[in-house]
Amino acid sequence: MNFIKRYLIPRLISYFLVIWLGITIVFFIPRLIPNDPVIKMVDQMRARGSTLEPGTMDGIIHDLTVMYGLEGSTLEQYRDFWVRLAHGDLGVSFFQFPAPVSDLIATALPWTLGLLLTTTAISWVFGNIIGGLAGYYTRRSWSRTLDAVAMVIRPMPYYIFSFVLLLLFTYVWRWFPVTGGASLGALPEFTWGYIKDVLWHSFLPGLSLSALGMAVNFQVMKLLVQNINAEDYVQYARLGGVTNTRIVSKYIIRNALLPQITGLALSFGQIFSGALITEIVFGYPGVGMLLYRAIINGDYNLIMGITMLSIVGITTAMLIVDLAYPLLDPRVRYT
Amino acid sequence: MIEEKTVILRTEHLKAFYLLEVHGTQKTVKAVNDVDIQIYENEIYGIAGESGCGKTTLLKTLFGEIVPPLRLIDGKIFYRIDDDEVDVSRMKSEAKRKLRMEYISYIPQGSMSVFNPVLKIKGTFADFIGSHVHGQSRAEIFELARERILELGLPKNVLDVYPHQLSGGMRQRVTIALAASLNPRIMIGDEPTTALDVVVQRGVIQMLKDIQKNLKNTIVLVTHDMGVHANIADRIGIMYAGKLIEEATTEKIFAQPLHPYTQFLINSLPKFGDKSMRDSVPGSPPSLADLPTGCPFHPRCPHVKDICRQEMPNFHHLDENHKVACWLVGEA
Repeated sequence: MNFIKRYLIPRLISYFLVIWLGITIVFFIPRLIPNDPVIKMVDQMRARGSTLEPGTMDGIIHDLTVMYGLEGSTLEQYRDFWVRLAHGDLGVSFFQFPAPVSDLIATALPWTLGLLLTTTAISWVFGNIIGGLAGYYTRRSWSRTLDAVAMVIRPMPYYIFSFVLLLLFTYVWRWFPVTGGASLGALPEFTWGYIKDVLWHSFLPGLSLSALGMAVNFQVMKLLVQNINAEDYVQYARLGGVTNTRIVSKYIIRNALLPQITGLALSFGQIFSGALITEIVFGYPGVGMLLYRAIINGDYNLIMGITMLSIVGITTAMLIVDLAYPLLDPRVRYT
Repeated sequence: MIEEKTVILRTEHLKAFYLLEVHGTQKTVKAVNDVDIQIYENEIYGIAGESGCGKTTLLKTLFGEIVPPLRLIDGKIFYRIDDDEVDVSRMKSEAKRKLRMEYISYIPQGSMSVFNPVLKIKGTFADFIGSHVHGQSRAEIFELARERILELGLPKNVLDVYPHQLSGGMRQRVTIALAASLNPRIMIGDEPTTALDVVVQRGVIQMLKDIQKNLKNTIVLVTHDMGVHANIADRIGIMYAGKLIEEATTEKIFAQPLHPYTQFLINSLPKFGDKSMRDSVPGSPPSLADLPTGCPFHPRCPHVKDICRQEMPNFHHLDENHKVACWLVGEA
């Protein structure tokens, strides 16, 4: 009970406070930018050559303002925003008017989830296994070679690495498609042909994300295992003649995985904001791409919707890590 | 006290060096440099010396735990097991592993990180004992651990807590209980009293003495604290720069230290009624990677002679129990 009063309740309060604060900041920042989406829309209509009577024009401006949720002072908008949000309404997108933001996100999210869940899991699992082995057998030549490879890959900027892959595999050797999440015109259906198409399209973005993620996990895990291998308790277990299997599993891996599990949870939380650069480079129809277009077009509601998703994703992941940590590490206790 | 003494642990010309590569140049750290020691059954043998003189490395080699960058350059290590001398330096690692805990056990310094932080103390006991005793369930191993803990006067709930919940003194005593749990013939302690205050230190020393008395086994104790040696050791070996330089019974070492370095160590101890300043050894120990020629102590020795700079003296045996390697004694 002490735990609930002294830890859980304050922690939950801070959880909601962070979400509220984050959403509030994301609400106000676009509105401080001198860029009126209604005028922009009207300008676009004018640019297309549609001439309207001033009266009709005023009507359109008014209707758009209402539909965009931009009526009244900023504070009134803020209040209305929460009222709408309470009803699960994220508003309509400005640039893909009148599609609701939630629909747009719902279309993009499966792509992002499919790509990032897989690559995060792959890079975590393999990065840790290979990194752990390399840290344990740190004096072997293959361990040094892998370390050198990771050293080259890891600091490389995403876009460079992605472009290299893109150039090599779609232009020099035309093995993979240049852009998209599936072939044009292919209808989403649960057939082997469609799944194969999706996998084929996501191979390069997946490869770029997994390679970089794996390099990071490899380096961190290698260092962790190297350090833990030199810890007093491992040396002691060796001199106590504890069997090697026990030392590796219960002494080294168990302790090295503690920080890595936190890392995994946090990267799962980040998935909801998409992989911005990768999705842009490979023209992948995920949340990152959606966010990019929303920013370019000053689409408040869409930016808002995506950012909110990512705020909730990350704070929830952190909450789960905090609550689960005492189960993993007995030194952490909330009493 | 004429009694037949059996050598249980013996080294012959033991040389163990760290071969390091620093910025492309090979460095050799001569941590154990031609050490011959003989340790008897049923005694407590103290090894003394400053930090960085190779004490801990000597312990590791005594265990046969020689992993790179540490290499066994030369020499042999013998254990006496069931009236047979066994050359440990030639043993397979699995055979060496089996001897640990059951025949020779290790008492580490009970530092913060000596136990696996995610295991309860009983988990550590289960791992250490379970790696050697087969065909016993966890419950039986816990029972054995609990008996040992109570026998040694430790509170029985220490088994059910995590290492970070124990005080430093308690952690140290748990390491000793663990080392004693399979009744080993040899126990080797690496500074087990160092990080403790004197009151706790006394308890730990008493505990070691009691165990030795009960098991009639051998304890090798490394510490730089001559006061601890005076309290516990039967014989003391003084190490300097990877070499054994003097060895005698405790009474002799304190009453009649012959090597200038030993004299410094003993004179630096406070004495009742003597309020004069204590002299410390001038200078600092040499780098084991770059030893001076001849006797390694000569740069700090107040009685240095020409020959000290050129040649390392051999041991001069004053009597059966007292030997010293110094040009000032005997051979001069």
